[in-house]
Amino acid sequence: MADKERVSSSESLRSTRTFGKVRCHNPSCMGRITPPPGSKQITCPTCGMTYRLFWVTPELPRIRGPVWDVNRKLAQETLAKKLETPDSDSK
Amino acid sequence: MALDRKIAYINLTTGDVEIKPIPLEMRKKFIGGRGMDAYLLYNHAPEGCDPLGPENPLIVSGGLLTATCASATARTHVMAKSPLTGLLGSCNMGGFFAPEMAWAGFHHLVITGRADKPVYLWIHNGEIEIRDAGRLWGKNSTDTQWAIRDELDDEEVKSMVIGQAGENLVTYACVMTGIKNAGGRTGLGCVMGAKNLKAVAVRGTMDIKIAHPVDALEHNKKFIDQITGAKVNQIQGALGTPFIWGATNCWGGVRTRNFQYNQMEYADEIEPEAIDDYAAETMGPHHMTGCFGCQVHCRAQYKIQSGLYKGKYDEGPEYTSLGAFGAEPDCKSIETVLTGNHLVNQYGVDNLEIGSMIAWAMELYELGILTSKETEGLDLRFGNDEALLQMVHNICTRTGWLGNVLADGGIPAAEKIGKNAFDYLIQVKGMNNLHSDERATPGLALNIATASRGSDHLRSRPAIDLYHLPEPVLRKIYSSPVPYEGPLSSEHTEYIGKPWQVFWQENVYMAVDCLGICKYHTVFLGATLPNFEDWPEVIYYNTGLEFTPKEIWDAAERCNNLERLFNLREGLTRNDPKKGDTLNHRYFDEPCRRGAPDVIGKRIDRDKFNVMIDEFYEHHGWDQDGVPTTETLKRLGLEKEPTRLL
Amino acid sequence: MDKFLTVDADKCTGCRLCEQVCSVMHEGVSNPAKSRIQVIKWEQEGIYIPVICKQCEDAPCMNVCPVRAISRDPEFGFVKVDHEVCIGCRSCVGICPFGAMGYNGDTHQVFKCDLCGGDPQCVRFCEVNALEYVSANRVTSQKKRKGAARQSAAERQAVALG
Repeated sequence: MADKERVSSSESLRSTRTFGKVRCHNPSCMGRITPPPGSKQITCPTCGMTYRLFWVTPELPRIRGPVWDVNRKLAQETLAKKLETPDSDSK
Repeated sequence: MALDRKIAYINLTTGDVEIKPIPLEMRKKFIGGRGMDAYLLYNHAPEGCDPLGPENPLIVSGGLLTATCASATARTHVMAKSPLTGLLGSCNMGGFFAPEMAWAGFHHLVITGRADKPVYLWIHNGEIEIRDAGRLWGKNSTDTQWAIRDELDDEEVKSMVIGQAGENLVTYACVMTGIKNAGGRTGLGCVMGAKNLKAVAVRGTMDIKIAHPVDALEHNKKFIDQITGAKVNQIQGALGTPFIWGATNCWGGVRTRNFQYNQMEYADEIEPEAIDDYAAETMGPHHMTGCFGCQVHCRAQYKIQSGLYKGKYDEGPEYTSLGAFGAEPDCKSIETVLTGNHLVNQYGVDNLEIGSMIAWAMELYELGILTSKETEGLDLRFGNDEALLQMVHNICTRTGWLGNVLADGGIPAAEKIGKNAFDYLIQVKGMNNLHSDERATPGLALNIATASRGSDHLRSRPAIDLYHLPEPVLRKIYSSPVPYEGPLSSEHTEYIGKPWQVFWQENVYMAVDCLGICKYHTVFLGATLPNFEDWPEVIYYNTGLEFTPKEIWDAAERCNNLERLFNLREGLTRNDPKKGDTLNHRYFDEPCRRGAPDVIGKRIDRDKFNVMIDEFYEHHGWDQDGVPTTETLKRLGLEKEPTRLL
Repeated sequence: MDKFLTVDADKCTGCRLCEQVCSVMHEGVSNPAKSRIQVIKWEQEGIYIPVICKQCEDAPCMNVCPVRAISRDPEFGFVKVDHEVCIGCRSCVGICPFGAMGYNGDTHQVFKCDLCGGDPQCVRFCEVNALEYVSANRVTSQKKRKGAARQSAAERQAVALG
C-alpha cells in the first residue's frame, strides 16, 4: 500500500533542524544566535537580553535561564515606559 | 491482532461482565483510544447524570496501536463525566498499563455501577474478576500496586489505582500507575473512589499479531530516528519536561503568585538543570527513564535528600510540578518542589489542580478574602513552603474547613468562600489552568479557552507557534491533509491564523490519543515530528487497516465533535464564565509585568479574542454559539448519535 | 566470531522496546512473554536490568540436554536449539541460571536468543546503548579504562587528603 520512497511533510522538514544555535526569547527578536561552543552566557545583539546557557550535547546548546540582573532591568525599564503610555500595547 | 482486542462492560453493582468484539466499521469511524471513549461516553452516560453516581460510566482504554510494533504506544486513556467540571472528564497517562491490558486481551473497559464495598478488577488473559479490596483501602498509590502484586503473586501485574485522594472524593483526584504516571486532569480518580473501585489490575501474555512484521519493524526504526533526531526530544531526554517550564519562564509565560505575575524571577534553584543535577546526585548519571517502547526517556528519577521524606524515591517532577509547587505559590526551594511532587504521586491527586487551588487560596488570604479563621491559623502567604505542603495534606485528607472546601474544586469552593473569590480563580469550565500564562500568546489563550476538558494545553495547543517558524514552514505543516489558504503568522503575539492552528492541533492531538501514542511523538513541541501523513504506514504495517491521512483527520474531527456534543448536552454555553469557552477577566484586564521586553504590557484583546472564537467555530462548522450545524453532523456521520452500536 | 551481547543495566531506561522488537522479529507478534530478552524491574527503587542469554561457554542447557539438541553456532558462537531433535523435556528451562531459556505454550517449543543471526534487534533499537553487540576485546579494554579512571581519581583524592 505505502509508497516507501514518498517523503512526508515532517520528514521533509528535517532539513530545517539547526544545531548549535539558540533563539532569543524576546518575541520581536527570535533571532538565531550561535554561541561559541561551550560558552556559558550569551547576549542578544538585537535586544540585549542576556542568557545563561546549558549544553545538552556539544552540538546542542539551550538557554538555561536569564541573567536575572540584566533582563530584570530591561523588563523594568520597558514596564516604566509602557506605564507612561498604557494604551500603546494592549494587543 | 490489535483488531481482535475486545471491549468489556463491567457492572460493579450487579457484578455482571459482558465481553464483545469491536466491529471494524467502528474502528474506521472512531479508531480507538480517546475517540472510541468519546463515543462510549456519549452513548452510555445518561444526560445530566451525577458524576459520582453509579450510572456515570468510567471508560478505560488503550489505543489502536497500543503494544504493537510502533513507537511509544504506552498511553492509557480514561474518560467519564467529570466531578470537577460537570462536563467531559478525560485524562491520559503513560507507563505500562495500557500495553499490559492489550496483552490481556482488551482495548476498552466500560465500568458502571457502584460496589457496596471496596473492590478491584483483576483482568488476566481474557478473564475479568471482581475482587475484594478491603485490605487495599487507605493505601497510597504505590503501596496499593505492590500489595496487589503480592496478593496475585506476580511482579509483572500492572495496575491503575487511586490513592487516598480518590478515596476521599477530592474532585481532582488522579488515576495512577507506576511511580508517577498519572491520569491527572478532570478528577477521574474521584469517580473511581465513588464507585468503590480501588484499582484495575491487568496481566497478559496474549499475542498481538503484527500484520506485516518485517515492514513494521523497519518502519519503527525509521520513525524512532525521526523522533529522537529532533532537538526538542534530545533536550527532553536530558532534562525531561521541566525544560518547558524553564524556557517559558525565561521569556515570561509562567504564571506566578496565582496570576499576579507572568514570571518567577531568580528561580535558579528549581531550574531544569538544577533538578537534573539533583537527580544525578541521587540516582547517578543515567537517571532518566521512560514509558513503554519509548526512546525519548523524558522522566527523571530522584531521591529526596533531606527533610521529612528523606530517602524517598520518586520520579519526575514534570513541568507541571514546577508550576504547582514553584511559581504559582512562589516557592523557590527544590526540596519543596520534589516533596510536593512526591506527595501528589502518593496521594494520587492532580498536581496541576492542587497547586493552582493553593495558589488561589494564597492570593485570597493575602487579599483578606480568606483569613486565619478559615485557615485555622495556617499562615497561607505566598512563599510559605510549609503552608503549601500542609495544604496538600489537608486537601487530600479533607482535613480542616479550608482543606475540605478546596477539595471540592474551584467553583464550589468559590461559592463557599464567597465575596469575590471567583474573580481570582484562574479556570476554564471549572478546571484550573496549568502553570502557563497565555496573555502574550493569543493562540495559546484560544487553546485553553476552547479545550474540551476545560483549561488545558494537551487538547489543542499550537506550542510550535512560539518558535517563530517561517510562514512557508507553518503552511507546510498546517495545510495538510486539509488545504488551508487563509492567513498564518509567524508572530506568536498575533491573532492572525491562530484559530486554524488551534483547530489543526485539536485534530492532531485527538488522532494521537486515538492511536494511543505519546504527544512528544507528534507536532506538539517539535515542528518536524510525525503527523497525519506519517501515520497511515504505521497503522497499516501493524494492523492491516488502511487509512488515508484525510481519513485520520476526519475521524479525529468526528471524535472532537462527539466531545463537543457531550459538553453541550451537559450545559456548555459559549459565554458562561463557569462552563463556557471563556477566560478569566484578568487575561483581558491585567497586563504582563515581567519577562522579555516585548511581553511586558501584553494582555488579550477582548474583541480580537471574540473574533478568534468566531473563526474557530467557523472552521469546525459550528454556529455562533459553538453548536455543530446539522450539515456538519451529517458530514461527519454523527447526525443519528447516540446510536448505541457499542 | 568473538562478538557478544553486553548489558549495561545502569543505562537501561526500562522502556522494554527490546522485548517488543524481539518478539516481533522472532514470532511476528508483540508479546513480551515470547521475547528472548526481558527487563526485570525493581520499580520501587527505579532499577531495571535486562536479562538475556549469556551464550555460556560451559552452557548448562547444552550439558543437561538428554538428546544433544543444543549446540553452538559455528559462525556466530551463539547457543542454539535444534527443534527437529528437541523432545520438549524443558530440562534446559529449569537449569538455566539466568532464566534465559523460554517456553512457548502455543508451539510447545523452548526458545532462546539467537543474536538474530548476527544483527540483534534489541541492540539496534536501544538508543541509550544499554545493550551492545561488541567484541570481547573491546569490552575488556573499555572496562579497563573505566576501572583505571576510577582508580586514578581515588588516588588523586587520597593525595589531596593526605
